[in-house]
Amino acid sequence: MSQAVATGSTEAREFSTWRRLRGWITNPWGKPRFLVVVTWTYIVWSIAPVLVAIQFSFNNSRSLTVWHGFTTKWYTSTAPDINSVFHDPSLRGALQQSMKLAFLDVVIATPIGVMLALGLARWRGRGSGGANFLMLFPLVTPEIVMGVSLLLLFSHLLTLVPFGTPAQVLGHVTFSISYVVVIVRGRLFSIGRSYEEAAADLGASPAVALYRVLFPLLLPAIVASAAIVFAISIDDFVISQWLSNGANTTTVPMTIYNATRATPQPSTDGIATVIMVITLAAVVAGVLVFRFFTRGEGGRGSAIDDVAGFGI
Amino acid sequence: MHPKERRLGATRRDFLLRSGGAALALSGAGSFLAACSNSTTTGGGGGTSGGNPNANNPLGLPLARPNVPVTLPLYENPIASGMKPETGGDFTIFNYPDYIDPAVMKAFGKKYGVTVKVTPFDDINSGITKLASGTVQPDVTEMTPDNIARVVAAKLVKPLNLEYIPNLQKNVWPSLVDPFYDKGSHYSVPYTVYSTGILYRTDYVKEDIPNLTPNPWDIFWHAQKYNGKTALLSEVRETIGMALLHKGDTDLNTEDPNKVNQAVKDLQELYNICNIKVGDLQYSTVAERKAYLNQAWSGDAISGYLFYADKESKQALRFWNPGQGNGPIQNDMWCVCSTTKKPVLAHLWLNWILDNTQGYNNFLNYNGYQPPLTEVDPGEMVKKGILPESLSNTVLTAPDLGPTSLQYMTLTTQGQQLWQNGYSQFLSGA
Amino acid sequence: MYPRWLWPAFALPGVVWLLILFVLPFYAVVGVAFGSVDPILLTAVPAWNPAQWNFGWVTQVLTELEPGGIYWDVFVRTVEYVMLSLAGCVLIGYPVAYYISRHASRTKSLLLILLVLPFWISYLMRMLAWINLLSPGGYAERFLSATHINDLLFHLGLVSDPNNYLGGESFTVIVALIYGYIPYFILPLYASLDRIDRSHLEAARDLGASPWRAFLHVTLPLSRTGLLGGAVLIVLPMFGDYYTPNIVSGAPTTSMIGNQIDLYFHGGPQPTIGAAITILLSLFLVLLMGYYMWTIHRASRDLPA
Repeated sequence: MSQAVATGSTEAREFSTWRRLRGWITNPWGKPRFLVVVTWTYIVWSIAPVLVAIQFSFNNSRSLTVWHGFTTKWYTSTAPDINSVFHDPSLRGALQQSMKLAFLDVVIATPIGVMLALGLARWRGRGSGGANFLMLFPLVTPEIVMGVSLLLLFSHLLTLVPFGTPAQVLGHVTFSISYVVVIVRGRLFSIGRSYEEAAADLGASPAVALYRVLFPLLLPAIVASAAIVFAISIDDFVISQWLSNGANTTTVPMTIYNATRATPQPSTDGIATVIMVITLAAVVAGVLVFRFFTRGEGGRGSAIDDVAGFGI
Repeated sequence: MHPKERRLGATRRDFLLRSGGAALALSGAGSFLAACSNSTTTGGGGGTSGGNPNANNPLGLPLARPNVPVTLPLYENPIASGMKPETGGDFTIFNYPDYIDPAVMKAFGKKYGVTVKVTPFDDINSGITKLASGTVQPDVTEMTPDNIARVVAAKLVKPLNLEYIPNLQKNVWPSLVDPFYDKGSHYSVPYTVYSTGILYRTDYVKEDIPNLTPNPWDIFWHAQKYNGKTALLSEVRETIGMALLHKGDTDLNTEDPNKVNQAVKDLQELYNICNIKVGDLQYSTVAERKAYLNQAWSGDAISGYLFYADKESKQALRFWNPGQGNGPIQNDMWCVCSTTKKPVLAHLWLNWILDNTQGYNNFLNYNGYQPPLTEVDPGEMVKKGILPESLSNTVLTAPDLGPTSLQYMTLTTQGQQLWQNGYSQFLSGA
Repeated sequence: MYPRWLWPAFALPGVVWLLILFVLPFYAVVGVAFGSVDPILLTAVPAWNPAQWNFGWVTQVLTELEPGGIYWDVFVRTVEYVMLSLAGCVLIGYPVAYYISRHASRTKSLLLILLVLPFWISYLMRMLAWINLLSPGGYAERFLSATHINDLLFHLGLVSDPNNYLGGESFTVIVALIYGYIPYFILPLYASLDRIDRSHLEAARDLGASPWRAFLHVTLPLSRTGLLGGAVLIVLPMFGDYYTPNIVSGAPTTSMIGNQIDLYFHGGPQPTIGAAITILLSLFLVLLMGYYMWTIHRASRDLPA
């Protein structure tokens, strides 16, 4: 070392080029070039195919690989040889069925899930661990197992429930509840009990504390989870397929699946794009409402963080 | 299985033809058979020891085969002759989705003053289950020959009074006026016929398939050049049946475990030869170059040509139709439901659908499945420019069906298990 | 301040719902798997009373699950696909999650949005997108052949036909599985990496660890719960996947155990076998889940709160 000081040489000479390169790449305090490249490559790989699919839904030919110019005919045309998204009865029917199921799912699963989240977060007695465990299972159960079990349930036990929309809705709600619980519970943890306790100190009854203190604080999470339930219901394929009852109860993912196995057309890309836009709109609306209601809270108020911390 | 049972959100473009699927079974190796005998069905007269195709089915009758005709017993008398048709209200048809031309239905409704509705079922088995449970109460229903004995045993369909259905004698192919599975047409009239053959593209497949030795099915075992572009029907009966036919065995209803196992082994050779796929979508995949060589139903060729092929593909599509005795020819039927409140009108519907004009329109304007009417002549269609000369063989004619024709029919329960387990082996890709 | 019955009462509707529509269906599967089949209608006749259970179907499936049996090969293949896909997800997902959680300060929000975006895009649309790209003439296929990557893949033995990715290739199925499931892996991993305190790393550096050793001995162990969580979140559902091979392949040589279950439930005389396979698959997954919970339990004891 004294030699280095004496000669004035820098440390660079003591390290080989390889060592320097490695240091440059793996330095946790410097710019991590390797990771940047990997991350952005991943992002592009993840999203670009979908963008291409959207692009080809506007293709002016039946091809999905060669671009022939822009047109909206796959969405709007009423010509008899084009199954356009908004005019072909089966595609329109699929859109309607997906919307119907998603709406019913949100309306039923969100209240049940919110109540379950509250119950699980605050229940201190016996059984709460078991209930918590029960709630986590649908998140990891393979969909085919759920599809088979619900199919057999409605065929042999709960035979009053007809296949088609009723069975599909029940199935959707079953796997949606867990998502609501996980999201609302995260919010509950960050709220804590202090607000309600303050309200109680100020003389509020439990009912008032729930209604006027807790509920408004929870509202952002409720809205966010509703948006997420909407999205996963629209995306659901396996449960909808196993519990369907013929062509009238086909959903958009089922339509895309069938078309993809045969030969997809631009209108398949089209209906997928439509459903994607609707889903994104719902999610963005949910996030905006969430941020609006949590403005000024500071700390880890990012909706993404809340969503990302799936309680695992 | 019936072609319409391809579980797709079918638009009317999907011309699906499948052979009746309920009676499929597969036996595996010895361990399977041992396990099977431990787990046969409860009660009922079903499931006698495997290997005997004339064993009793639940009706106490022999299993129908083209060379073993069966007369279904009448459990009640048919309705009396000469009654007036009922009018007013709904008339419900229970059948595959998009299987009848709405124009045909509307014309019938107008003539007799009823509103014709369709209640769909996805596959014949779930349809029968719904009929049995009373969930639906239609007037007429679609049926397949391998299920007719079952539904008669369960009294789900009514005996027919053929005086209301003169078109049966007049218009229908003789071999189907008095079919082997329902001698005397006590319960059913035929609707469509279809055969299983090979659909291929001449721009990629250079072999002369119809003249291949030992038989055209052999192309699949020499399809190395078409790796990843070849497919079989994803049907338990059709795949194994094809392997049997390939070896020259025409007993498509065999319950011999050795034969079935050997057929499965033959099919498994196809993994390495051409990485065989399975699917029921050849009407679009072959027409759109996603596949070059496919086992297919006759209606697939027609619908692929008409609705999915571009100009080059139209010229390149070919279909090999095995003909009588060389490949399976299936049909489906109409029956009158026992839940009908309009029995006379139900009989008249059966007559209506066998009318030459209605049947022809239904076929060409809508569903692409061919009715077994003597007036439907492939030469006509070529002359009218609807079908090209190259695909004129996709239309079956009366001589295609006869005493030596092959048809997938009901098996005993153990036979069905045998076939299904064998198909499961094939599907496992091992 | 709230009455003691309040929270259990709130939980009640959800719990009852899950009991009836999530737990009870498993009993329906059990009843069918140990039941019989009506010979006329070919529908399953479940046996609800354990005393009347018919073990033949499950025995049959277990026999075929022995090495050499039908289901054994499919099961082994499914395990291979799942493990390879998991490995791919880890190799790709860990660096991405690591980067976003630890380094991307300015672009973090943007990256997070882009990371979460695939959640809201239908799985099937993403598969459809790949079908478009990998079809002959599609952008990906043209890119791969122009850059000769497909020759490389062929020489490495990963792809048997470099011109037909959709012709029944295991490689395509695994890549599709990775593509489909990786968002579900990255997010929990990101969440757990994000929670790691920088001070731990700084302490490691102060104590003389190289960046690599700091990563190996500090970051990696602390992210273990996230890794496991992400792994569970994708491995368990992936075992039941049957639609991905159907979409990108369609050949029996790439079928997964889900395809076998699918076969038995659509017509035919043996829905009981489908139910039996489902039960055995579920048991296997419960074991995996149990291992996960045990590991989490141990990990949470080892680490500081």
